Amino acid sequence: MYSYLFIGLLLFLIGLLGSVLLKNVIKVLISIEFMILGVNINFVTFAAFCDNIEFNGFIAALFYVGLGAVELAVALYIFYLMYKKKESDNIEKYTDL
Amino acid sequence: MINNPIIFYIASVLIIGFALIALFAKDVIRSLLAAVMVFFAGALFFYILGSEYNAIIQAAIYGLAVPVIIGLSIMFCQHGGKYRGGKYRGGKDSEDKDSDNEGLLKKSNGKGFAVPYITLLCAGIFILAFVYLVMMSLVMMPDTFHIMEIPQMTPFDNVLSFARGIFIDYVWAFELVSLLLTIVIAGLSMFDGRKNV
Repeated sequence: MYSYLFIGLLLFLIGLLGSVLLKNVIKVLISIEFMILGVNINFVTFAAFCDNIEFNGFIAALFYVGLGAVELAVALYIFYLMYKKKESDNIEKYTDL
Repeated sequence: MINNPIIFYIASVLIIGFALIALFAKDVIRSLLAAVMVFFAGALFFYILGSEYNAIIQAAIYGLAVPVIIGLSIMFCQHGGKYRGGKYRGGKDSEDKDSDNEGLLKKSNGKGFAVPYITLLCAGIFILAFVYLVMMSLVMMPDTFHIMEIPQMTPFDNVLSFARGIFIDYVWAFELVSLLLTIVIAGLSMFDGRKNV
């Protein structure tokens, strides 16, 4: 169980590192998806090892997949609108809306 | 649930390695392809944890649909740019190379001062993970892989738990997520119809 949790933690840390340090907007969004995937791995791990009856973690992971897709669609559209104004994918230029 | 350490190690190396490649790839397309591999490796994790439904959803949404959306946004954002030699050129982005390179914090002279620290951090994470996995395979593996009570579930139990969770226990959350998806689709369509954006 702990090995799966550790992999989820590593993936979350990698996503956190990328979302803080990278400048490219699309890479930042991909890093946020990595963080969501790490959280989902932890949900499924806890459900598989600690909740053998109801599997609530499976349902939570399912909801987070949907919410992650929604967040990505909205964020990409906002990025597209900002890109038309700024003509750059550098996140440091997106200081105003 | 597949209780095989070799599959776990392979999936772990795949997911961590491709995640780092996705972060530090020089152009966005390679980063996206590495991210696709990470998402499929996540689906493999879900499968070996016994959640086939989550694995299918993960592979279908994150492995196929999300990369298509990201790829389309990359294509839309190339106004007259050319894809040459693995880097985007054209528009204003050809002048600021820092946006498409490593993307790390840079000094005014162009040299990245954060690169050594991030490399050390990633190396530390890798060494920690390697030591942990070696220790676990030598000493702690019986505790984690064999002694713990492994859930015995049939595919029918899996589907039954999903159906009970979605349609009985968490039906309001399920409906709210459905409503949110509908609002997003309608909102994006309204944004697209606006002229002064």
